[in-house]
This record gives sequence, C-alpha cells and structure tokens, in this order.
Amino acid sequence: MNTTSPSPLAQQQQALLHTLFARPGTAQADTAHTALLEQLAARHPQTARGLAAYRANGHALAERSLIAAYPVVAALIGGDNFAWLARDLWHQHPPRCGDLAQWGDALPGFVRSNPQLADVPYLGDVAQAEWALHQAAGAPDAEPDLSSFARLGQEDPQGLTFALAPGTAVIASPYPVASLVAAHLDKASSLAAAAQRLCEGIGEHALVWRQGLRPRIATITPAAAGLVQALLRGADLPQALDTACACADVNDDWDFSAWLTAAVTDGLVIGVHRPPTHTTTEHTP
Amino acid sequence: MPAVGIGWRPPHYAALLAQQPALGFIEVHAENFFAPGGAALAVLRQGRTHYPVSLHGVGLSLGSAAGIDPWHLDQLAHLVQTIEPVRVSDHPSFARGPDVHANDLLPVPLTHAALDALCANVNRVQDRLRRPIAVENLSAYVQWRHADMDEPAFLNTLAQRTGCQLLVDVNNLYVNALNAQLRGETGEPLHPCRHWLDAIHPAHVAELHLAGHAHCGDIVIDDHGSRVIDEVWTLYRHAVQRFGAVPTLIEWDTDVPALDVLLDEADRARSVALHALSTETLAA
Repeated sequence: MNTTSPSPLAQQQQALLHTLFARPGTAQADTAHTALLEQLAARHPQTARGLAAYRANGHALAERSLIAAYPVVAALIGGDNFAWLARDLWHQHPPRCGDLAQWGDALPGFVRSNPQLADVPYLGDVAQAEWALHQAAGAPDAEPDLSSFARLGQEDPQGLTFALAPGTAVIASPYPVASLVAAHLDKASSLAAAAQRLCEGIGEHALVWRQGLRPRIATITPAAAGLVQALLRGADLPQALDTACACADVNDDWDFSAWLTAAVTDGLVIGVHRPPTHTTTEHTP
Repeated sequence: MPAVGIGWRPPHYAALLAQQPALGFIEVHAENFFAPGGAALAVLRQGRTHYPVSLHGVGLSLGSAAGIDPWHLDQLAHLVQTIEPVRVSDHPSFARGPDVHANDLLPVPLTHAALDALCANVNRVQDRLRRPIAVENLSAYVQWRHADMDEPAFLNTLAQRTGCQLLVDVNNLYVNALNAQLRGETGEPLHPCRHWLDAIHPAHVAELHLAGHAHCGDIVIDDHGSRVIDEVWTLYRHAVQRFGAVPTLIEWDTDVPALDVLLDEADRARSVALHALSTETLAA
C-alpha cells in the first residue's frame, strides 16, 4: 500500500484548491481558508481580495462553460437561476481536466436530484439531450460515402451495417424533449407546439446527430429509435430491422425505405460498411 | 520589425477570414480546439491556411505537483500535429490537484521545490511534443509566504534547465507591480518592471504579450478587456530594446471589441517596436 504523504508543495497547492472549491459559507470552507492563510503572505487585505478574484473567475468560467453546452436549460430556468446552478455544480462536481468543454456532464443527474427544480421534471432529460448535442458538435469528423450504398443491392445484408453521423445518440424521454430543445434552438420550431405536447404528457425519442458541422435534434418514432440504438450497439442490418419492428407502436406505420431516404438526405446515415468479424479461438479445458 | 499578431476569438472568426488583414500570426487558446472534429477545428484549419498560428495553453498546469494530465498532453500533441503551430506556450502556474482542475492560472511559490516540479513537467511536455515550448510570466493575486528566489531568476533557471523559451507578458508585469504598490511593498511601478525585464536573459525570450487590465479598487485584475495603456507601451518599448524584434501579441479576451480595434492596437505595437529598434540602432 502506498502511504507516501503529499509533498509540502503538493500540500500548498491543495490548500489553495480546497479553498477555491469549498462551498462558500461552509465549515469546510473556513477550515480550508485557515489552512491556506498559514501558507500565504497574508498580512495585507489584498490577499482576501485576490482569493475572491480567483473564486469569481471560477464562477464566471462555470457559467460561461455551462451555458455554451446548455443554452436551453438556461432559457428554461432563467439567467439568475442558471448562474446559481453553474456555481453549485462547480463546487459539487468540479472539473477534473483542463478543457472546460468536457465539464458539465453531471448536470442532467444534478438537476434531476435537485429538489428545488422538482417543478421542472423534464429539465434533466432536456439537459441530457443538450449534452448529446454538445458532444456531437466536437465528435470526430466523418465524410459521407455515398458510393457505398450500392452494396445494399449487391451483397448479403447479413453483416452489413450503416455508418452513422458523428455524435449520433438517442434519448428516450417521457417528456417532449426534442420538441422543447428544437423550439429554443431552431426558429422553425414552435415553442407553443412544444408546450402543448408537454401539457398533453407526450413523450418523445430524441435523435441527436451532426449533419456536416451542424448538430441537429429531431423527434423520431419508437421503431426508428430502436433501429438507431441497435446500430449504435453494433447490430447488422437484419438485426437492426428486427429491433425496429419489435419497437414499433401498433399505430406506427413505419417504412424502412422512406426512413432510409430521409436519413441519408439529413446526413444521419453516411454509408454502408461491413465491420471486420472477430474470430475467436475456442479453448477446451 | 517584429511579427505582430492578435488573439483570434469567436467574435472575429468570420471577420478575420473575410478581411485577411496583414498580421504576423494569430493566437488561439489550445484547449478551445481539443475536440477531435467539428466546427471549431474546421475554423482553425481555415485560419491556419492564411496565418501562422501560436497555440497558447491555459490548462497544462505546468507547475502542478500532481504532474501533467496525460489526457491533456495527448490532446495538445494531436493539435500540434494537426495545426503545426509557429509557437506553443503555457504558464508556470498550477490548477491541477489529485482530483480537480481549477482551470485558472494559480501561482506557484518561487521555491526550489516548485522549480523542480515545473522543470519536470516542462521536460515531459517538450519530450512529447518534440519541440520547445514558451512559458509565460503570470499575474498573481496571492503571494506565498516563502520564496527562494525572485521571479526573473526562477524563469531564467527554468529556461536554462529545460531549454524552454520564455514568453514575457508586459501587462502582467505591470499588473503585479501595481498590486505590489497597493500592498505598500513598492513605490512607482515602472521601475520594478524595468528591473524585471533587465534581469531576464534575452536569449530565452520568444514572444511578448500586450493587453489591458482593470482597476477594481484595492486590486488590479489582468482582464484583457481594454486597450493597452501608455505605461505598458513604455515598458514594451523597453522590452523591445532589450529583447529585439520578438513576435508580439495583442490579447483581448473580455468585452471583445470590433476587429478593427485589435488591428489598430497591432499597428501601434509595430510602430512602437519600430521606433524602439531604430532608437536602439542609433544608440549603438
């Protein structure tokens, strides 16, 4: 067991980090601050002002980073509430790396478990969809391979699968999450229609993907959701189609050909490929 | 004449690509382009086709006793390979602890132990990138109780031991001097800044930074939110006379104005540098 204690330098640095990330007004914050002052040349009141400047900068970074990923959550709860949420998340789930675009993935769970946000029960799912959009925005680029679609008519479909757009994800929600997000991000979508769906208790499967450089979100049917989720899990086309049929509503008049045409046009399906099969050697004990 | 560049921030992405003004280089914050794909990286690639790019990091946490985050270094190495920047830089600060990253430029004590940690981290980064990086002096808003040396000695030794370059932020120097004056530790702030510049070995200096700052009552903050003030231009002239025609950056990160304002500041930097260099030549 490694029992090496932190070096004096590490202890100094941790004292400052603890002071900055302890929730203001708590006993933990007071303890951390007292420990830090022993390390600082703290005789002048400017030291307290300097610490406040670092704290304020952290809070500003939290708000700026979080609103970049969650503009719809911010719009739904208002700027002041969102600033409070960002600061609270900063202290409870601090960043662990030096790229703040990676910070904020804890927000969906954070808002779901927050009793003060219980009157907006759909907020967690909206946040989940926004995080998927945020991830899609920076996902690795992939060029469509239109010539590969000829393989659909030439090869045994077993083992063939679709290449999906960067950042493709499906979020199943008991709330109209795709309509709510689209109504805030896309001027062509209606906020009133989204609100109506919310009032009627309509749930949605939200599809997130990136068309070219543009992250997109749309409502899809349960059958299409089943198909995309199966493809994301690595299913081949026959398996994915079976899943789609199993997921289809009784009233879901789902047409694979029509879906595929739209999916290619919208940049969701960008090619057809046959993943390499992995052979395994069986061992007899 | 030094190459003069500007910090390229999102409000100016389209305007810079459309106008393509004459600039020696553009500077971006490396961490903003760590995503492996998407619009941000596509824009930077476009910018790279027109200008040399200086990749300036704010998150390596070079002074951290917890070491360098291998994930962060991987992302930076990939970006360097993709963009082929003219310079790569970061700060002798820390932000990283065992389970947290403050994403700020927190000062390290000017001690032998801190210098050892900094040198080890800089060496690790340079070994991975297979090139020297430049390390920038920072504005510090708290002071550690104990120091073994002053900041120029700390930075000169860092450069000598690791082969790294130094990036001298003239505004940061002035902000630190103003805060020391507010604490009653020094008098007129220009004198200690000139002394600091004179103590830095010229062979180490690879880039100069210029920016504005904000007076916030009992503290001065390096907010990069306004024009460079006359006193900092005076120090810049002194820096150019000491370090020569070193590439110079105009930084502006908060309340970013129209692109023309940054270009105007860049013009002034060229003019001040030209005057400083011609005066130096005459004096020689």
